[in-house]
Amino acid sequence: MPTPKTTELARHRKERMWMWLQLLPVLAVLTVLFGGALVLAVMQSLGFAPWFGVNTFPDFSYFAALWGGGFFWKSLGLTLYYATISTLIALVLGTFLALALVRHFPSKSLYKYLYKLPLMIPYTVGIALAVIMLGNGGMLSRIFAFVGLIGDPSEFPQILKTHYGWGVIAVYVWKQTPFVTLTLYAVLLGVGRETEEAATILGANKMQVFFQVTLPQILPGIVSSTLIIFAFNIGAFEAPFILGGGFPDTLPVVAWRYFNDADYTLQLQGMATVVSITLIASGILYSYLALYRRYERRIGRN
Amino acid sequence: MTKVQLKGVRKEFGKFVAISEIDLDINSGELVALLGPSGCGKTTTLRMIAGLEVPSFGQILFDDQDVSEVPVQDRNVGMVFQRYALFPHMTVEKNVMFGLKVRGTPTEEIKHRLEEILDVVQLQQFRHRFPAQLSGGQMQRVAIARTLITNPSVLMMDEPLANLDTKLRGEMRRFIRDLQQRLNITTIFVTHDQVEAMELADRVAVIFNGKLAQYDAPDALYQRPNSIEIADFMGADNIYEAQISAGRAKTAFGELQLDQLSNPVRDGVGHVLLRAEAVDLLLEADAASENVIPGKVTGREFFGATVNYTVECNGETVTVNEQSRRMVDVGQDVWLSIQPHRIWVIQDTA
Repeated sequence: MPTPKTTELARHRKERMWMWLQLLPVLAVLTVLFGGALVLAVMQSLGFAPWFGVNTFPDFSYFAALWGGGFFWKSLGLTLYYATISTLIALVLGTFLALALVRHFPSKSLYKYLYKLPLMIPYTVGIALAVIMLGNGGMLSRIFAFVGLIGDPSEFPQILKTHYGWGVIAVYVWKQTPFVTLTLYAVLLGVGRETEEAATILGANKMQVFFQVTLPQILPGIVSSTLIIFAFNIGAFEAPFILGGGFPDTLPVVAWRYFNDADYTLQLQGMATVVSITLIASGILYSYLALYRRYERRIGRN
Repeated sequence: MTKVQLKGVRKEFGKFVAISEIDLDINSGELVALLGPSGCGKTTTLRMIAGLEVPSFGQILFDDQDVSEVPVQDRNVGMVFQRYALFPHMTVEKNVMFGLKVRGTPTEEIKHRLEEILDVVQLQQFRHRFPAQLSGGQMQRVAIARTLITNPSVLMMDEPLANLDTKLRGEMRRFIRDLQQRLNITTIFVTHDQVEAMELADRVAVIFNGKLAQYDAPDALYQRPNSIEIADFMGADNIYEAQISAGRAKTAFGELQLDQLSNPVRDGVGHVLLRAEAVDLLLEADAASENVIPGKVTGREFFGATVNYTVECNGETVTVNEQSRRMVDVGQDVWLSIQPHRIWVIQDTA
């Protein structure tokens, strides 16, 4: 019996074309603005900048100079340190908050609005608040001096402008904890309380319930929220610029200093720094996602 | 085997009273259904017995020991949730072993009991699957196995069959009943389906508006409800106002002779309940039959095995249900007959 010949129906073809047409604006923005900029950045970092009278493409000397200097690795260490520590603190606080929010407690509805406030306030305001609160001569130092814990506000321990980065971390955590909370709260609402209750009835204590039942179920929310805030932290500029401890700076600040230099040919070095940040961030985030995907497959999510 | 008692249990959520007061005695090894419409408080009652909710007042006793304030983990109860509540990130066997692992049971014993319970629920071949790869019935059996492996003293089920299709529901009913009888475990289950409650339970506790309306064996509840509300909830079609006098009920469609031995009544107002299947449909007047009422068939509903007739009798509508061995035409004159002991009279207790 001959196999019947199947051809794509005109209607199906139309639907497919319509789908691509709908995707076109997004694809155009992504390709031209993001993809185009990325290609240009990579080319510039490899010596392609005829508008500055420089065209040595392909030239890896900018990367060699950057990666060969010891300050680069110190800057990278600082960048990763601020990004990782603040992501972890925001994750822990956000998880606690989200877990609290799915339970009933007095004035919960008011609290549900309050915790979101930092989301609506810009980072620069957060930085200003950190200066007002945590700086020497700031609110906290004056309160300490007032209650007699220190003799003078200037004796207050240095929190801002050190390489420990407590000011930077404080601003990131202040701004990002609500974001993690918001994401995990939504995931927890979707998951419901039944599996936790089932585990409790089966004899699990609170720690066992959290680590063996709740955590694996909210992991998609944890991964997506930490991925977003880590990617932001690694590339953020204002907080480490204003609240950081100076040289060696974080990589985005290093890039900014190159771009802001009177010698405009250093912009190529700056572009190599930006491309380096992109490569490192992509590598870390890709590995993070790959690990998570592996875990997902192990628990039967395909 | 554990005896469960609820004594004056009340539950309030803020100003809302979910359970106004409930007293309930559940014998060891008994299967009891908590039956009622949505929002009546049956799930809250079950959650209080499980320990997921703390009663506002009253006591919950397991074998005469007050467990009202005993934490959930220490009650040794089992619960099967309506939506199974399986751990989606664990395979069937990991789900089933969970309870024993968190209790620190030795590995060898866990393995032994796992094999045993997987055999009981016939899930050996699905042991490495994840919940998302199972059908509704299989998930239900995993939930049951996960609970039973811990040897709970009381097994609780919250609408265990609500998410299954009709055929699977019937199979699971038989499965649960067989398992409960084999293990002889005190079981309490919540349902809003009266057929499910009657088929499964030894006794049924009907709850309306947070109060225990009737607690009885399924046949008693069906044949002899103590209020119109219960009769209506249990699917009674024929409930009529009546004036009771000297062992006879005077209704709008005629007088009925009552059986005082099976249903002692007092003179006054009341309601008579005629179960649709207890009414005989005669095509000719039969002088030998009791309580014969003339009427005309005004409607017919065919259900395959049975058929329902709507019969107009002196302005009242009587529903008659019989096996579909014959078909009576709409418009035909008929006579209805009901034996006195099949008539149930509901009167106010006041």
